[in-house]
Formats: sequence, C-alpha cells, structure tokens
Amino acid sequence: MAKTYDYLFKLLLIGDSGVGKTCVLFRFSEDAFNTSFISTIGIDFKIRTIELDGKKIKLQIWDTAGQERFRTITTAYYRGAMGIMLVYDITNEKSFENIKNWIRNIEENASADVEKMLLGNKCELSEKRQVSRERGEALAIEYGIKFMETSAKASINVEEAFYTLARDIKAKTEKKLKEASNPPKGGHQLKPAEPQRKPTNWLSRCSLL
Amino acid sequence: MNNGDKLSRTAETDKTETMEDSGEQGTELCSHHNVILKSYKNYDNFGVLSLVQYGPVKYIEWKAAEVNVDSDTQDQEWAVVSTGRSSRHRSNSECIRAEPLRLNTVNLKSFKVSRHRHGQHLTFAKRDESRSFITFIFYQANADIFVKSLMGHLKIYRSKKDKNLYHLDEDDNQETQELRRSFAELNLFTETTPYGMWNFIGQFRQRPYETTMGAFCKITDALLYRPAEDDEDDENHVAELLNQSLNNFDDPVIANVSGEEYEVIGSHTTPVLPSRPLVTRGSPLSVDRWAQAMDAEGKVTDFAAIKKIVFHGGVSPTLRYEVWKFLLGYYPWNSTYAERMHLRKAKVEEYFKMKQQWKSMTPGQEERFSDFRDRKSLIDKDVKRTDRVLPFFAGDDNPNVEVLNSILMTYLMYNFDLGYVQGMSDLLSPILQLMSNEADTFWCFAGFMERVCTNFDMDQAGMKLQLQQLHTLLSVLDPQFTQYLDRHDSGNMFFCFRWLLVLFKREFSQEDIMRLWEVFWSDLPCPNFHLLFCAAILDSEKETLYANNSGFTEILKHVNELSMTINIDSTLCKAEGLYAQLLSIESNLPDAVRIIIGLEPLNATAGDSEDDDIEDDDGDASTHAEHDSSIETVTLGALGGEVAFDRGINLQYL
Repeated sequence: MAKTYDYLFKLLLIGDSGVGKTCVLFRFSEDAFNTSFISTIGIDFKIRTIELDGKKIKLQIWDTAGQERFRTITTAYYRGAMGIMLVYDITNEKSFENIKNWIRNIEENASADVEKMLLGNKCELSEKRQVSRERGEALAIEYGIKFMETSAKASINVEEAFYTLARDIKAKTEKKLKEASNPPKGGHQLKPAEPQRKPTNWLSRCSLL
Repeated sequence: MNNGDKLSRTAETDKTETMEDSGEQGTELCSHHNVILKSYKNYDNFGVLSLVQYGPVKYIEWKAAEVNVDSDTQDQEWAVVSTGRSSRHRSNSECIRAEPLRLNTVNLKSFKVSRHRHGQHLTFAKRDESRSFITFIFYQANADIFVKSLMGHLKIYRSKKDKNLYHLDEDDNQETQELRRSFAELNLFTETTPYGMWNFIGQFRQRPYETTMGAFCKITDALLYRPAEDDEDDENHVAELLNQSLNNFDDPVIANVSGEEYEVIGSHTTPVLPSRPLVTRGSPLSVDRWAQAMDAEGKVTDFAAIKKIVFHGGVSPTLRYEVWKFLLGYYPWNSTYAERMHLRKAKVEEYFKMKQQWKSMTPGQEERFSDFRDRKSLIDKDVKRTDRVLPFFAGDDNPNVEVLNSILMTYLMYNFDLGYVQGMSDLLSPILQLMSNEADTFWCFAGFMERVCTNFDMDQAGMKLQLQQLHTLLSVLDPQFTQYLDRHDSGNMFFCFRWLLVLFKREFSQEDIMRLWEVFWSDLPCPNFHLLFCAAILDSEKETLYANNSGFTEILKHVNELSMTINIDSTLCKAEGLYAQLLSIESNLPDAVRIIIGLEPLNATAGDSEDDDIEDDDGDASTHAEHDSSIETVTLGALGGEVAFDRGINLQYL
C-alpha cells in the first residue's frame, strides 16, 4: 500500500491541566473551537497531514491528561515523540511556573534531541493576563527553544506553531538523511534497523573501506 | 538518536532468555536430574536442571525429559496439550519440550532453597524490577549438591540473615552488564540476544580487523539512518515503557502479565470454554416490586432479590432516585423508614458542616495553603468542562455547575488525602443530575467513590491492577485475541484506561451510563463484572482490529472512537455470557482468574508461605514483591499464555 505521506512526525502536547492543550489540537486538526470542552482522560491523538516544501508530512499529535497523577502513564509516550509542545496559559501564573517541571520531565523521559517549543495559550484573554510575553520569550531563550503566544479560541498562531515545529523536525531529519545519502563512496542504501542482517552483509555493504 | 530504543529493545529480547539458534553447543558445568519446573498445576514435567556455559555467559538451563506429547492418551497428570496459545515455536506433533528453558545468570538476583514434603525447591529471583520468580522442584531430593556446584561456578554469597538465601554477586556482573549496555546502544549485533554480543567479541578475537570494520560500518549505519527508522519502533518503545510502568508496582497478585519474562517451554492448556449461553436482559425494577420488597417498617428485607432484578434489568427511572441511595450505601438495606429519616438528617448536617469548612477559608488562609489552592483550582477547571453539552449543565451561570463545584469542594474536605483527581467530576455528574439535592448527591457520590477510589491512587496502582486483571481474564476468555494484543504491543491494555478510570462514563450517554452503573452497583454476578464488560466490548471489536491489522496506535484510536456507539444491552448480555462460560469451567480456571471473579483460589498456600518467600538481605522487601495476601501467585510471561507460579506449597499434582 502506497504511503500517502513522505514523513510521519509524532508530536506531543504537554502542560498543566486546563491550559488548552486539547483546544490547541482541536483548532489545528479540525480548525474549530468549542467552549464546552471536556478534560482529557488518558491519552488520545489526532492526525493532520500538512505540506512543507513539497513534502507531505503526517503529524500524529498526542494529547495527554495534564494532571500530575496521570504522569506515570503519560511519560511513557515521551520517548516516541519527535517534537513536544509545552503549553501554558498566559492567564495562569502557576501553569507558567510549572513549565520548568515539564521540561525536567522531558529531560528525564524523552529522547535527548527531541524538538521542543513553548506556547503561551489563551492570548486572546489580555485582560486576564498574568504572564507577560517577555517572560515567555525569556524562558524560551533560557531553554534554547522557540516560543509563540497562541489562541486556540481566536485562532492565533496555532497553525504557525505546528508548522514551525514540523519544519524544524523536517530540517533535522533531512540533514541526517542527506548525510546518509552521501556516503564517501559507493552510495549503497544502508538501512539502519534491519534486524535480520547477517554479519557478512555488513562487510559487503560497508562502503567506508 | 534513540539509543535508548536500541538498548531497551535489546534488553527486552534478553528477557525471553531463549536462543533461537539452539544448535549452539554449550558446556555443561553441573546438572541434576529429576527436577520439576514448577509451573501451573498439572502441567509440569520432569527434566534436567543444569548450569551451562555458552561463550562466556552461563545459563541455568532446564530441559524436559523427552516426552512425546502427541499422546492425548497420556495420563492426565502429564498431559501437555498443545492448544493454540502454546505452540508458538513448535508444531503440535513435535516433541514439545525439546527446547530448554534458559535463564541468563547475569539477570538473576538471588535464589532460595526451601524444604517441602516432596523435595526441596530452588527458587530463582530475577534481578530486574519485574521481581519474577521461577521455581524448580528437586523431586524427593535436596538441592545442596547442585547449589554447591553453582557456587563453584558463579560468584555467590550466602545471605547473613537467611542461610537458605543466596545472592548472585552483582559486581561480578557489573562489568558484563556495562559492556552489554554500551554495545547494545550501538546496535552492532545481528542477533539481539546477549549471545549475539559475545559472538561478536569472539569474532573480534579471531578476526579483529574484519570484525571491527564490520562494526564500524554498522555504527555509520546507525548514525546516519536512525531518523528514518520505521514508525513502529517508537510505537514498540512506548508500549514497552507502558509495560514497564505497569509492572513497576507492587501488585500483590500478579507480578508480571504483559512482559515475556521467561520463555516457558513447557506447554500448558487454556481451559477450553464451552459455547456462550444466550443471555437476555430482564425488565427493570418496578415501583410495585420495590414496594413489595419493603416490610411494614420500611426495611428492604428482600434486598438480594432486588439486586438480582437490578442486575438483570436495572431500575425504572422513576425509582432511581430512591434505589440508588441503597445501592451506593447511603441507606442501609435493613434500615427502617424512621432510621433513614434520622440518618438523612444527620448526613445533611454533616455535609453542610464540611461545606462550611472550605466556604469559610479566608483569602489569607488559602494563600498559605497551596495543597488546598491547587486542588481548588483543578476542580474549578474541571467543573467548567463537565458535561456542559447536557441541558442540565448548559449555559453560563448554570446553578447546577455551581452545585457540582460545591460537592467536589466538600468531597475535598471529606477526603483531603485523595484530593481531587480528574475524572471525579465525570462520576459525579450523573448522580447530581438524578438526585438534584446537594447533600443526598454528595453522600451517594461518596459511596460511589468508596467503590472506585483506587482508580485515583497517587501511584495509579488501582488502574494498573485492573488493566492487568483484564489481561488475565482475556487470556482465558480469548487466548487468540490476547496473543494478538501482546503481539501488537497492546498487552498492557492501556487502551482501556479511560473505560476503567471513569467506569465508561465517556463511552455512553447520560441515560445509558445510569443504566450501566446501577447494574455494576448490584455487585452481581461477581466482583469485577466491569472487566467482563470490557472483555465483551473487545469481543465485538476484535474482528475489526484483526481485519485492519491494527497496531498499538490504531487499537487506541479505534477504542477511543467507540464512544457513544456501544450497545449497552447486548454488551451486558455478552458480559454475563462470558461470566457463565467462566463459571462452567470453574474448577479448571487458574487461580489468578478465580480471584478476579471472586472464587476461592484452589491452591491457596497452607499458611507457611514464609518458607517460600525470598527475602532481601537488607530487609528491603520492596525489591521483591511484597505479599500481603495469602494467595501468592506470580504470573510469568503472557504471550504463549501466562504460567502462574504459585509461590505457596502446591503439590497437589504430585
């Protein structure tokens, strides 16, 4: 069966309960917003295929329950993720303070080179704002990750955020692929994870010599 | 990238402990004949236990005496019937136990010798967190000579506290493990077994140049191509991690369900279920029948019959308001009208007293009470998004939303340690909608929470236990489907998490969930009927999963999307049918299953379980399963059907 996409990227949304992870995801996957949302129990994911530079990229975006109690289960999903959106609520100081805990969670559970991005959601609620944009930016700089303020409700920057994260993952992936398709000589197509490969094959396929 | 993946997958492979390449000749260092692999009940067999060296790695190996199992005519005691779930690596006509069971000594933490009527037991404990045990019975013999031989070949020291307990020296293995880990990270080996690594080292010794270059080639492979790895790898990894997280807790009954801890070579049968009886639903409890059930004073004398009616047909909607108070333990069945009036008065008073506690909290107090503040904020967030699509909770400033909030806040004061956990508002919503009265709703909710509070444990132990129990039930109800799930990284049953956490609240309409819950609250026909309900839903979906060859993510997606599509009546009928099936083969059910559905275990230990316990030298019992129950069953391996290793004295089959 032919693949309908060039890349599959797994992304993960994490952040405190009620910061709007599901709404951000719903905005991105269905381009809709529903005020009567329900809390996420366990874990779920949505799919959206986007196009970047002529490549079809299937984004499989995992949405997790935010409450700490469920972390033993949700952290199991970190390792599979190639990109993680850290979401806080600009009207909730605590959710911003907790970002550092979420970062620690990532460090403990995700692969080291996972792409990360910080989102300050609910930016349409400027009258209730507790976390300034500058503080968000400063935190992102501190962790060396990108930052955006978003509004799932007003549809601000959600599309941009996912495209940015996807573009960064794509660039990283393609850089590796490019290096891989340019072996010093020979140009054999070596694939990394063929468990059945025999030792003689590695020698015959090895082009380093 | 993903070095961890490689490492973990290699480690996983280690656990199966078998070497596919059984043509390899090892050196036997010592052996003992007439040793029984203690597995489940009747299906044991004599064999030879030995210590065998393959390359630099030593294995405890148990090889069955050659018994040809073609013979259905064999004595029942010895029949090893090859059913579907047992013949993973071999055809039915083969001599089933030709392949030995191998345990890598590197992975063994300790062993203990214990004396029993029919001979000494030698029980090995694994070093990893699974805390699995495997026991060998030295039939009419003692294990001393064998243990002495082991001590001659392995670094072993005897526990200071327990002369029957021996530890395998970890330091001895440290280096080996480090080495294996660093190699595993590079994924240099075609075979993922540790033996593959030693093979590599052996080659390195003999042909250093070629071997090194071959490995370098693999290193470039690994570095260059990792990002393009197949999607499945991550999936597998997630599934593995879930398995680990599910296994990392002290389950008193089952130490491991979904991991393949040991490749148990001995085949054993799944009891064959008779066909499922046709079950129909009954009529709901009627007003007349309810009136009949009460005596002149108002006592529900006939409550067993009432529960039966509720189980078969639910409660007619007009009566729910009344009957739920009994089902949820707010009113005792044997209370009189007068007693209930007094009880209610007292309970209403108590409720408002507790409500006053959080209502009267000053902003300053709250400021200095972060636990309270955090819980309050969680409730606030969840109340706003609980069933707001239902007319009862819809709209801005809906007073019912306020009541929902008040009850949850008061429950917080009632049970502050549990606090508020997401999902609780889901459990409260239908009760509030039915009762309307705030205090009555609270006490019914508290009764409901009493039943399900372990779902909300800090360590999620209650959830993990239920997921394991579901797997155990399925492995008997439908071994083929269980195998499918195991093979598709879903043996952790995590896709049922939402079902169990809020008892299907998210899967049904408000009307249906009321009908379902009252059936569950009847506590009939057995404990954990809700797990049979899960099994019934899965039974209806498995063909779709097979047809799409659904993997970990697809199964999760499919199950999540079943919400609002499940037929409650037919599923209840099927679940009841499943129970009838289990009951009809009751005497053949493994204890693990018997316990789940409330039957007495057949092989309960005879009160001298300390004889079998492997204690830690430093007294830190947490590294081994800590058993607080008299039923001590450790289930090992799941793919080929789990084998229950009863830790107590169980020699009925001898």
